[in-house]
Amino acid sequence: MTRVLLIHDTPIHIDRLSAALVAAGCEVVAELGSALSLAAAVARHAPDVIIVDAASPSRDALAGLCAVSAESPRPIVMFTGERDPAVMRAAVRAGVTAYIVDGLAPERLAPVLDVAIARFEEEQRLRAELDAARRQLADRKWIDKAKGLLMAKRGLSEDAAYRLLRKSAMEQGLRVAEVARRLVEASQLLS
Amino acid sequence: MTADFLLVPRPAVSPFAPSEATRLTVGFLPLTDCAPLVAAVVLGLDRRFGLTLELKRQPSWSALAEGLASGALDAAQALYTLPFDMTLGLSGPAVPTSILMGLNRNGQGVTLSSRLAEAGVSDGASLAAHLRRARTRPRFADTYPGGTHALWLRRWLMQHDISPTRDVEILTLPPPAMVDALKAGAIDGFCAGEPWHAVAIAQGAGFTAATSPAVWPDHPEKVLAVREDWLDAHPNAARALIATVLAACRELDALPYKTRLAELLASPDYLDLPAAAIAARLAGDYDDGRGRRWREPHPLLFHDGGAVNPPYWSDARWFLDEWRRWGWLPESVDADALARRVGRFALYAEVADALGILAPASPWRLAGGPR
Repeated sequence: MTRVLLIHDTPIHIDRLSAALVAAGCEVVAELGSALSLAAAVARHAPDVIIVDAASPSRDALAGLCAVSAESPRPIVMFTGERDPAVMRAAVRAGVTAYIVDGLAPERLAPVLDVAIARFEEEQRLRAELDAARRQLADRKWIDKAKGLLMAKRGLSEDAAYRLLRKSAMEQGLRVAEVARRLVEASQLLS
Repeated sequence: MTADFLLVPRPAVSPFAPSEATRLTVGFLPLTDCAPLVAAVVLGLDRRFGLTLELKRQPSWSALAEGLASGALDAAQALYTLPFDMTLGLSGPAVPTSILMGLNRNGQGVTLSSRLAEAGVSDGASLAAHLRRARTRPRFADTYPGGTHALWLRRWLMQHDISPTRDVEILTLPPPAMVDALKAGAIDGFCAGEPWHAVAIAQGAGFTAATSPAVWPDHPEKVLAVREDWLDAHPNAARALIATVLAACRELDALPYKTRLAELLASPDYLDLPAAAIAARLAGDYDDGRGRRWREPHPLLFHDGGAVNPPYWSDARWFLDEWRRWGWLPESVDADALARRVGRFALYAEVADALGILAPASPWRLAGGPR
């Protein structure tokens, strides 16, 4: 069951949305009248998705969403009547995943949430993949640089340099790349 | 120099008794002034004192406080006031917390939005004039309730006859959320640590209206904090930790090439931001984003011959007195007793002495105080 944290950034059509969410098979874990303490509420309720119901997104809502995006990113769906592209851009900058203007038929609510969650997960997955790729590339770079340093300064062969790094990593309980990185960074900083 | 000492760790030259724990998890926020912790690891100083520090980036001060309180973190970089907040339980459960040492002075600032710049605002005085003219109530952000930035921002506003309660609205956001919030129009300005002010300029979101020494030249800022019960159970680990970080602070001020340090801090493991946003201000070279350039007479410093690091009770008292002024300190609290309980001056002095760093004779100093 999708856990939803609902924010009413406006008093209008409150009940309709919460009722539609329940009808769509969601569990509304909390409803907030203001988004200002949103980050704390997200930490407490651990929702799968945040829904903002806003006639026009207020500064409170945007600030709350910025805080969530920085602290613990979640898929955020905003239902709004605001068509101004500048406001839409501001909302996306604040971390909104899906921005839905005007009237949503209750029967379409479930697929909209599913798509928002799927898109968010896809983004997180891509980010994690990118991080892993960056890390692998960086690891290789550090090991190569560290080997180079040891070969130049200690007159070791490439093999011997790697073996020294590996031995040192095992002794210190660190990854080889981590030992290499520390060696290179410290040498750079001290030179 | 190849920094070979990192490969085959020298036998620890730690002058202290064996540590109760050797692997310590240390929390930090993506801020330029987390540099002492990064340097401690990068320079292998932790090994020298028989420790292995694992640095864990935190998304916000409240997340960091929670990690410290729960035991997920053994130690952490902290706003000077955070240990008082935790000890008294003002923002969560009461978890007595200790200050082991100061990490830095200066290096904070106030950014105002590009929209305010377009309205003719360039500094505090023109902000005050704008508010009188436009009759708007702008919204600013600090980084934690009662935190150093909450105090610097309010003092700065008052210097320009702007009432922090009547004329503006102030809310709290995590430092990494500031620039996005500024761009989204959620706030009109913020007070936080670097490099977020430089990042705001680089992204065209705002300009630097003031630096924190305008409020208090050479003010204390971040500290190294641990839980009190952790300290009671790990006195020798605490000594080794202070020695590690103190040695790192000493190295940092002596480093000839601050650009190298900026590149290190920029790495995805630490700040994960462009080095260019970190380098200039780390070296004391400022540009307000509107064409004014200057060399900061009170730059970010980590050691200054040992003057930066003692956990002075008088500094603690200053923060607590400031809290009292704002009505944030509960009436019943004995500020003197709290300052003495939280600031571990004697422990710091013992470690500084072992490292040949001059520790002051008294935990009370006369110097300092805001303008």
